Amino acid sequence: MARPSGPARAPSALTRSLADPALSASVLLLWGALALFVVYPMLMLLARIFWVDGALSFAGLRAVLTDANQLRSLWNSLLLATLVGTAGTALGLGFALAAERCGLPPWMRTVVDAAVLLPLISPPFTTAIAMIFSFGPRGLITYDLLGIKGFSVYGLGSTLFSETLTYFPIAYLTLRPVLAAIDANVEAMALSLGASRWRVFRTVTLPLAVPGLANAFLLLFAASLADFATPLILAGNGFPVLPTQVYLQITGLFDLRGGAALSFVLLGPALAVFLLQRYWVSRAYYVTVTGKAGAQTRLSTVAVWVRGALFALCAFTTLLIVYLYALLLFASLVKAFGANHAWTLDHYRHIFTDGWNAIRDTLIIAAFAMPLGGLFGILVGYLVARREFPGRRSMELISMLNYALPGTIVGIAYLIAFNDPPIMLTGTALIIVACYVFRYGATGIRATMALLAQIDRSLEEASQSLGASTATTFRRITLPLILPAFFAGLGVVFIRSMTAISATIFLVSLSWTLITVKILNDMTELLLGPAAAYSVFVIAVVFVVIALTSWMLRRLRAGGAPAASLLGG
Amino acid sequence: MKNLVQVAFVALAALGIAPAAAQKTVNAYSIWPENWARPMFDEFEKATGIKVNFVRFSSGEALSRVIAEKNNPRIDVLFGGPVETHAAGIKDGVFESYRPPAFARLPARFKHADGQWVAIADDPLVFMSNNKFLKEHGLKPPASWADLLHPAYKNTLQMADARTSGTAVTRIFSILEVNGRDEAKAFAYMRKLRPNVQLYTKSGGGGTLPVGLGQAGAGIFFIVDALDTKAKGYDVSISFPQEGIGTAAEAIALIKGAKNPEAGKKLIDWATSPAMQAHFARYKINFVPAHPDVAVEASLAEVLKGAKIFPIDADYAGANRKRIIDRWIADVLNLGS
Repeated sequence: MARPSGPARAPSALTRSLADPALSASVLLLWGALALFVVYPMLMLLARIFWVDGALSFAGLRAVLTDANQLRSLWNSLLLATLVGTAGTALGLGFALAAERCGLPPWMRTVVDAAVLLPLISPPFTTAIAMIFSFGPRGLITYDLLGIKGFSVYGLGSTLFSETLTYFPIAYLTLRPVLAAIDANVEAMALSLGASRWRVFRTVTLPLAVPGLANAFLLLFAASLADFATPLILAGNGFPVLPTQVYLQITGLFDLRGGAALSFVLLGPALAVFLLQRYWVSRAYYVTVTGKAGAQTRLSTVAVWVRGALFALCAFTTLLIVYLYALLLFASLVKAFGANHAWTLDHYRHIFTDGWNAIRDTLIIAAFAMPLGGLFGILVGYLVARREFPGRRSMELISMLNYALPGTIVGIAYLIAFNDPPIMLTGTALIIVACYVFRYGATGIRATMALLAQIDRSLEEASQSLGASTATTFRRITLPLILPAFFAGLGVVFIRSMTAISATIFLVSLSWTLITVKILNDMTELLLGPAAAYSVFVIAVVFVVIALTSWMLRRLRAGGAPAASLLGG
Repeated sequence: MKNLVQVAFVALAALGIAPAAAQKTVNAYSIWPENWARPMFDEFEKATGIKVNFVRFSSGEALSRVIAEKNNPRIDVLFGGPVETHAAGIKDGVFESYRPPAFARLPARFKHADGQWVAIADDPLVFMSNNKFLKEHGLKPPASWADLLHPAYKNTLQMADARTSGTAVTRIFSILEVNGRDEAKAFAYMRKLRPNVQLYTKSGGGGTLPVGLGQAGAGIFFIVDALDTKAKGYDVSISFPQEGIGTAAEAIALIKGAKNPEAGKKLIDWATSPAMQAHFARYKINFVPAHPDVAVEASLAEVLKGAKIFPIDADYAGANRKRIIDRWIADVLNLGS
């Protein structure tokens, strides 16, 4: 297949894609999958809300929007998300500054990075469990240590605290590369020109970091907005938030339409955040072009006392995280936390016997979702970044949709779409696998596109002009180059398959259940030992798998996908 | 690449088919927590060779699922749960009438006239309070509904959320009964109680451990959960209000359109007979047996002595359930803070 070289575009994207059977087949296959697992469920969800008895109706939505209590939970959700976004970004910035500007000793950096990883790979509820033990009315800290009586752990404060601790690592991992990319010499120059340290931070560092800060804030805002697990345990009844309300509306009252309408209210802010992040923040990154980086300056841009304060902040937060997880481990190893602290392995025995079905199902589902999600990510990423075909942009947008929306919405949409003919999938593993693939596989798309942007097209064109087909070129040239993105995608899909609950809580069945749902059940029954044991097990498995994928990545010597791409939403 | 995707999808489709049953099985949603349901189902398998495949849901969730799956039932039997749950399902037509051999022996309140549900146990509500908490505040275990309004309980009670839990629904109907079904009076009481409630829990037993640990001062629970907490070694008192408190029959029902109706009926035969209910005491499950031939275990009988307990009228509760829960959500739950 000879092709004109150079940047000249083919006469028509359509004729070009038609001329390439491998391309058109993959595009058709992907469109089919996206139509079935992204577009169709969303349309069914909208139909359920707005199409009543064969006529367009806004009654369901109106009922939600005129109900003072539901409006309050919307307001609570937005308030919580804003606070978590702000606090988490500030904490993440503190960590990033300490790591990049204060010469954090290497051993401390390792400890911090390891501790920060914990909340990212934990199943939901883990910090919530530990919070109740520490700060409840008879908590280790509030009652035993401080002697406060009748302290109420339920409400905005503890939900905010727990979510901030869970999600600030996202901000840290987003901001660290941003700060690293700002040449410290620029700051040093400003400093040597006589500006005060505060002025340098305010007028040089901060403006350069603004897009990164905005990005971190939006990621945290979205994560908090979608979080269903933490508020379910910690928010209590005085601070209802939307995702929890939706869940109770559907599982408790079986009001699918009401729940769907409620979740629709969540859709607005979630989409706004997604579009903001995509079309504004991602384009506003500044690059500090300074030519060849000079010798690293010895002039510290951070005052000694600020440095001390940042170290203290990092040390305190890290200790807090370590303490909360140590508590979780302890709870999994004693008979009855708070009452009988005799050592026992009973809870582990329990999860590997009575809980074995959930563990087996979760691992099987994760094992299927992981490669499929990884493939989905690089395939869409590659096609969108490298190939010309009609509907390229819309494919990118649609494939990100399930990822951008809160899990509750996606779960309900799947439940509505696949519970009745023509496509009945509820009760199968396929519905859970599909949910994970199309929700978390999307994280690989960005990583693939970012990697491809660094690889010259001429490599592929050379292969093709030597006579290789598209498929061969993809397999022999492109695929090895984008493997890091593939592994990053694998990592995210695996972590999420082991830890997600917001969407799949609606999709578990008699034949297929999940560890996270078991944890939720045990939490509501207050069987904290088994809940803690499941959590420890999940964290251990995820740690091993992530270590393996990172090792594979390192062996591929491709510099590694950016750590932030391991996060997902 | 394309082939790989296709192969994967075919494998996935195969995975989607529920595992074929080699052995005779019966599928159930259990409203009883796993630690009670599992030994019963193991005994059933030992006795009949039929394996029970089950998941546990709280009663609201279980009923919601059964109704949602009406056109394509996934289970054969809905096992356990306060009878008002089953009563509420009747009007949705999700159950199949079935009269097991024990039917004739059961008193009227332990069976639906047409056999839409049959009782397997009786479960009275109780007050459970933390002894350390009582001592700190110089209180006696609550002996009337009014005792729970005492300001010392402010923000310390835990009880179940009516949106998901049958325990809560039984509690609310108890309060209605005590107030002569005068809804205005009953709801006035619940609104007064609201500031003392720290948390409405998703499941009925959700507050037992917090009360045991002293995270909460007291709560209203089914006796089976309360005695279980006590048996675990937590320092708690169990008491009954002098005005009386409701008891709910725990029921079992056959699902309409069940895929394994014969196995399902066998499970119902077994569960409604002394064959299962005699095992309660052995496994330290403090349900009151529904079948008259099974004696109440001695220590349980001791606790129940002198308590004023009345049954919840299943028809009245079933007919008014949704309306009362809606009112509870609007008037009581959302009152707080």
